[in-house]
Amino acid sequence: MDPRNREICPKLLDLIPQGRKWYQEEKINNTDQEKKLELRLGPPGGDEDQSTMKKINIETRNNMKQQQQQNIKKESEDKSFHCFNGNHFAPSNKTTYVPQKRTAPGPVVGWPPVRSFRKNLASTSSSKLGNESSHGDQINKSDGGEKQVEPKKEGMFVKINMDSVPIGRKVDLNAYNSYEQLSFAVDKLFRGLLAAQRDISGGEGEEKPIIGLLDGKGEFTLTYEDNEGDKMLVGDVPWQMFVSSVKRLRVIKSSEISSSLTFGCSKQEKKIRH
Amino acid sequence: MTQDRTEMSEDDDDNSQSPPLDLRSAAIADHCSSSSSSTPNKSRNCMALNSQTFPDHVLENVLENVLQFLDSRCDRNAASLVCKSWWRVEALTRSEVFIGNCYALSPTRLTQRFKRVKSLLLKGKPRFADFNLMPPDWGANFAPWVSTMAKAYPWLEKVDLKRMFVTDDDLALLADSFPGFKELILVCCEGFGTSGIAIVANKCRKLKVLDLIESEVTDDEVDWISCFPEGVTSLESLAFDCVEAPINFEALEGLVGRSPFLKKLRLNRLVSLEELHRLLLGAPQLTSLGTGSFSHDNAPQSEQEPDYAAAFRACKSVVCLSGFRDLMPEYLPSILPVCSNLTSLNFSYANISPDMFKPIIHNCHRLQVFWALDSICDEGLQAVAATCKELRELRIFPFDPREESEGPVSELGLQAISEGCRNLESILYFCQRMTNAAVIAMSENCPELTVFRLCIMGRHRPDHVTGKPMDEGFGAIVKNCKKLTRLAISGLLTDQAFRYMGEHGKLIRTLSVAFAGDSDMALRHVLEGCPRLQKLEIRDSPFGDVALRCGMHRYYNMRFVWMSACPLSKGCCKDVARAMPNLVVEVIGSDDDDDNRDYVETLYMYRSLDGPRNDVPKFVTIL
Repeated sequence: MDPRNREICPKLLDLIPQGRKWYQEEKINNTDQEKKLELRLGPPGGDEDQSTMKKINIETRNNMKQQQQQNIKKESEDKSFHCFNGNHFAPSNKTTYVPQKRTAPGPVVGWPPVRSFRKNLASTSSSKLGNESSHGDQINKSDGGEKQVEPKKEGMFVKINMDSVPIGRKVDLNAYNSYEQLSFAVDKLFRGLLAAQRDISGGEGEEKPIIGLLDGKGEFTLTYEDNEGDKMLVGDVPWQMFVSSVKRLRVIKSSEISSSLTFGCSKQEKKIRH
Repeated sequence: MTQDRTEMSEDDDDNSQSPPLDLRSAAIADHCSSSSSSTPNKSRNCMALNSQTFPDHVLENVLENVLQFLDSRCDRNAASLVCKSWWRVEALTRSEVFIGNCYALSPTRLTQRFKRVKSLLLKGKPRFADFNLMPPDWGANFAPWVSTMAKAYPWLEKVDLKRMFVTDDDLALLADSFPGFKELILVCCEGFGTSGIAIVANKCRKLKVLDLIESEVTDDEVDWISCFPEGVTSLESLAFDCVEAPINFEALEGLVGRSPFLKKLRLNRLVSLEELHRLLLGAPQLTSLGTGSFSHDNAPQSEQEPDYAAAFRACKSVVCLSGFRDLMPEYLPSILPVCSNLTSLNFSYANISPDMFKPIIHNCHRLQVFWALDSICDEGLQAVAATCKELRELRIFPFDPREESEGPVSELGLQAISEGCRNLESILYFCQRMTNAAVIAMSENCPELTVFRLCIMGRHRPDHVTGKPMDEGFGAIVKNCKKLTRLAISGLLTDQAFRYMGEHGKLIRTLSVAFAGDSDMALRHVLEGCPRLQKLEIRDSPFGDVALRCGMHRYYNMRFVWMSACPLSKGCCKDVARAMPNLVVEVIGSDDDDDNRDYVETLYMYRSLDGPRNDVPKFVTIL
């Protein structure tokens, strides 16, 4: 069973500019130490089949020279799932351990694939008139509101980009209640992508946690653009105020803070205004 | 007993074997162009020259009389390919037209080919749009269709739309243009409100069916129930359970009272249990009932509570029961008198515990279709398995649809169902944990399966007992269920699962993939191995340009391909678009996508006889 694709037509290689190496290669270089520390499912050593299969596929992908980084996102989610969702499975136990919210990956748009009118059933008090489904001003919303579990609260997805990472992501701010949770989520989202980028530009491809986003002490800092177009550091205003005014997030290099937050309103002025 | 197709609203409703797009033969006949499809090019030389001679008139008359009995779409498509004469006569005698993708052709082409259409079934947006994967205002507008048909088919009687954008104006035009209009069915539609419904109710004097199913209906605060004309109506089916607006109950009661042919009535959640009771007393002839809220206001009106069970007992004909939108569990036993007659039961809005559930299901020996929430637990499913030996369709929805929720159903429920319900044909099962063993068991116990949709809600979740991917389970399904036409996969899946699908899934028409596979090879297996594949929807899976190119020999034979959050490049999509001129290649992005210029967020492509559409919103690029 050799899934290698030798018969790719030569034209393909011409079309792909500077094919990047598949991110997966880096995963082989994970230290055994790290692997041992990862929570796994099934009996010890039971994962070997999987990693072998992954290795075969890695080589296949190498041949194909995928240029998109999108799969890196999948892989980092993959990994995080193996790490953190292992907690779910206590077979035959009634009391399953439910991981805390901060360890679960952020919600994904449209998953699980349940239509919005089926999503509000978990609300305890359903009054006759208190329907949260379609109201008069939502004619054109085909999504009927991205309804998360809490009724009357729609998912609030904002774009988030990170310096030197070409692929942007989206985060649901309603899934978090504090800056710390958000910061953690950002780390989860971009850690893998950043490592891949570093690998490509010739640096270390090892995954390092993205920390210090809020205090200026880390390599990166989290900033946002508010509804007036101003760029601000994240963390100064109360959480709810932040959520109500944020339009977009950006993770920038801490060394570039002063040049990024330009055009008029400085943080100082903003503070005074609010 | 035939089931109402409208109940299976989420499901694929074309039961026929995969026909070639029937209107592609129009292209062949009209333009004599051969696309890269594999449709046999039957000889059209016969009769072409002599079409005006006497024997052929006779032939055509005879043919017309014969062909008008042909109902099946598949048969009609085949007949139309025999020769030009047959094509012409078939076009004249086709009264019901099915269009699986509203953008596959223009309304004008429809009206030019088929002259005597009385019934139209039209589908718009792809299914993943239901899950917020598509920005609003993408398209699928009913407007051009209704305006074209208004002139061409004044005798139109039936319109059945799925995932279309329908405005009140469209409904007004419909009501004005078709005096004999009888059936309006809107499934998963949006864009209209109660004012549009009111117009239809008022002006379509011959209306038999008004079914609004899982549609978003704006509350324009119009008393549309009162807009039905006075006097006896022709109503046979009235379904408005998705209309989240209060209704005038007295008017409804009056309407039901003067609708002697009414068989199906689906109330919305704003109709209380007492109101339901009154309606049931007035309409014992109902066969299908949507019960509304199944609860009452805090203060019951009278001191003595109505005898709900007696009302149900009087409904001897009810075979299909749904609703229970705000169920008060203590009233559930009222339905016991009808349980033994039920062939279809929908509890999917009711949070029913196993203890509440078991006494009910114990009586439902004839049940064929059952929808419920997972709150009934594995225990409830075991009860279903023990009693419902005739079960053909099962759908279990999650009460708490989050990835990290508890998940009261598991492989135990699936296993039990597979052992008890050997005639199962269709299953949709949401769960948090599953094993290959249970899925394999179902594949062996239920050979009649045509639809297998398993949604393990946590992404990439393996078999929770063995830790292995779910490859073997799904592999067994495609191997053993020889009639399988629709498959939705989930859980941790490697390329191996796709290899199985390509090798064995020879009848698969619809395939849904999410967070699965390791490489392009996976998609390649499917594109090369599944010759009947019509509808392919993929999200968040590592299939890129190489995989996309592997399917170029198939895309003209498919209704659509959807790929979102997959590593596709715009360059490759452009190449495909260039190589296949009758394929519309849409790249759908979110609003400011300037960051990721070459990255394709969503690819949606479909064959079209009339080129790209002219109502493209700004977030869509047609390559």
